[in-house]
Amino acid sequence: MEKLDTAGLTKKALQIRQDVLNMCCGAGTGHVTSSFSSIEILVALYYGGILRYDVANPGWPDRDRFIMSKGQASVLLYPILADLGYFPKEDTERFCQADGKFGVHLQHDVPGAEITSGSLGMGFGLATGMALAAQKDRKLHLVFSLLGDGECYEGSIWEAAMFAGHNRLNNLVAVIDRNYLCVTNFTENMLSLEPFEDKWRSFGWNVKAINGHSFDEIFGALEGVRSRKSSRPLAIIADTVKGKGISFMCYNPLWHGIPPSGDEAVCACSELQAKEVTS
Amino acid sequence: MNNISQRDAFWGRVFELAKENKDVLLVIADMGAPALDTFRVELNAQYIDVGIAEQQALAVAAGLAMEGKKVFAYAIAPFISLRCYEHIRVNLASMNVPVTLVGVGAGTSYDDSGPTHHAVDDVSALRILPNLRIHNITDSVMARAFADICCDIEYPNYLRMDRKWLPDIYEDGFDFSAGMSTLLPGKDAMIVATGNMVHRAMEVAETLRGNGADIGVADVFTFPIPQEALLEAIQDAGRIITLEEHNLAGGLGSAVCEIMADHGMLKPVKRVGMDFSRKYCYRYGGREHIQSLYGLDKESLLRTAEELLN
Repeated sequence: MEKLDTAGLTKKALQIRQDVLNMCCGAGTGHVTSSFSSIEILVALYYGGILRYDVANPGWPDRDRFIMSKGQASVLLYPILADLGYFPKEDTERFCQADGKFGVHLQHDVPGAEITSGSLGMGFGLATGMALAAQKDRKLHLVFSLLGDGECYEGSIWEAAMFAGHNRLNNLVAVIDRNYLCVTNFTENMLSLEPFEDKWRSFGWNVKAINGHSFDEIFGALEGVRSRKSSRPLAIIADTVKGKGISFMCYNPLWHGIPPSGDEAVCACSELQAKEVTS
Repeated sequence: MNNISQRDAFWGRVFELAKENKDVLLVIADMGAPALDTFRVELNAQYIDVGIAEQQALAVAAGLAMEGKKVFAYAIAPFISLRCYEHIRVNLASMNVPVTLVGVGAGTSYDDSGPTHHAVDDVSALRILPNLRIHNITDSVMARAFADICCDIEYPNYLRMDRKWLPDIYEDGFDFSAGMSTLLPGKDAMIVATGNMVHRAMEVAETLRGNGADIGVADVFTFPIPQEALLEAIQDAGRIITLEEHNLAGGLGSAVCEIMADHGMLKPVKRVGMDFSRKYCYRYGGREHIQSLYGLDKESLLRTAEELLN
């Protein structure tokens, strides 16, 4: 896969936003807003020369592992995997259909996907096991895990964070999509996650806080990620906007897991068509 | 006769296997055993202690196994099975990840510890999961044999061991691949038992046989129960008694009845186990005493069997 420049990445992010919206509107289900907050992160990883993978050989032993712990954003991963050639794009058109291969949450049997995920707080612990295996075998690949900030209410996340810090899994990168929203409320109204950076640091992690919609900041945080001097795992807290790209879906918890329909769907499509999304 | 516990027989053999293969890993949730002390000292790189965090034990084990490691995850039975049930469901069963969960304390092994430590619901809960198999261990010969079997599996499994020493029933070299075995054939009735209750079933059967009744015993040590093997074991028996130190709801007795019903095998069945429909067991005074409260002691079972036979 040729590495895209910032203009190319921006264009790709818009294309993926349109794919996600089309999939969800077509199916009448799916997590549009949860996906839109993570789009620049995934586009940077897959198209920006960060992740090592081989489309022709999804099980390549030396590939980086991308563990999507926030499995509700699978509708974001699927069009990327299809675009890269892991499976035909037509499969994304049958999202959640009777003749389709995948639904709202991530499935391990989709080429390019590593795990089944959907129940929060599970994939991240599994990622620590994968990172430990690589550490023991002195393998050079990295394990990236995408977490939602709401997912961090799960106690199992902190069991895994403690384990990774103690075992010095510096081949593990957690990217936390900090969009401040859960299903019904803003995180700081519901149950405060702050001081969020301090929590991760106190569990033995290096922490970088960035704007999760800025390619420059994402790449800045990941610079030299394969040759880090620190023995600690790396947490990137990516400040994002849930629903980024469609104005009326932002900052509104009621859009969790509900795609727009009718006039709102038309508005959403128009908004994406009308502008290049920038951070 | 072996004087070693199931736990020590099992971990002793795993240690031998791990010495030969550095991919054999132990994920421990703050548990001890003499063989594990040796393991920790001599094979420290293969010994991973997650602290008292069974969910993380499960998740780490799954991640390691997905990378090709042969992983044993160990904790007290109700914790490694029920505390992390959803991790088992998602991270093992749904993806068919070959991890061996090892739980010690089957039934009321932890008799003085109260219901938090009784493993009396785990078979019901885990036997319904796809891909997963439960191996409920009967003696130390079986425990040792399953150490080898579990090093070479392609599915998740849950090994459930008694905490207390029990005499050996099987001889070294026995082939456990059938999933169950008929220890004694019987025409009047078959007692289908599992785990420590197999020993009780043998005592009861011997007494009844001494009284002239033709009573047999079958040992179910694998769930899901191998259907053909079960049907063959009980087809000639007039009556069936199922016997488990476990919740009656969903346990061995339920599983046996499901198979019989599905195959149209209709004959009288008496399920003997623990009824927790109103309350868990908050009683103490030793395991024998607890068993007597639920009709699992020899005298109660003799009465139950005689009532069924008459």
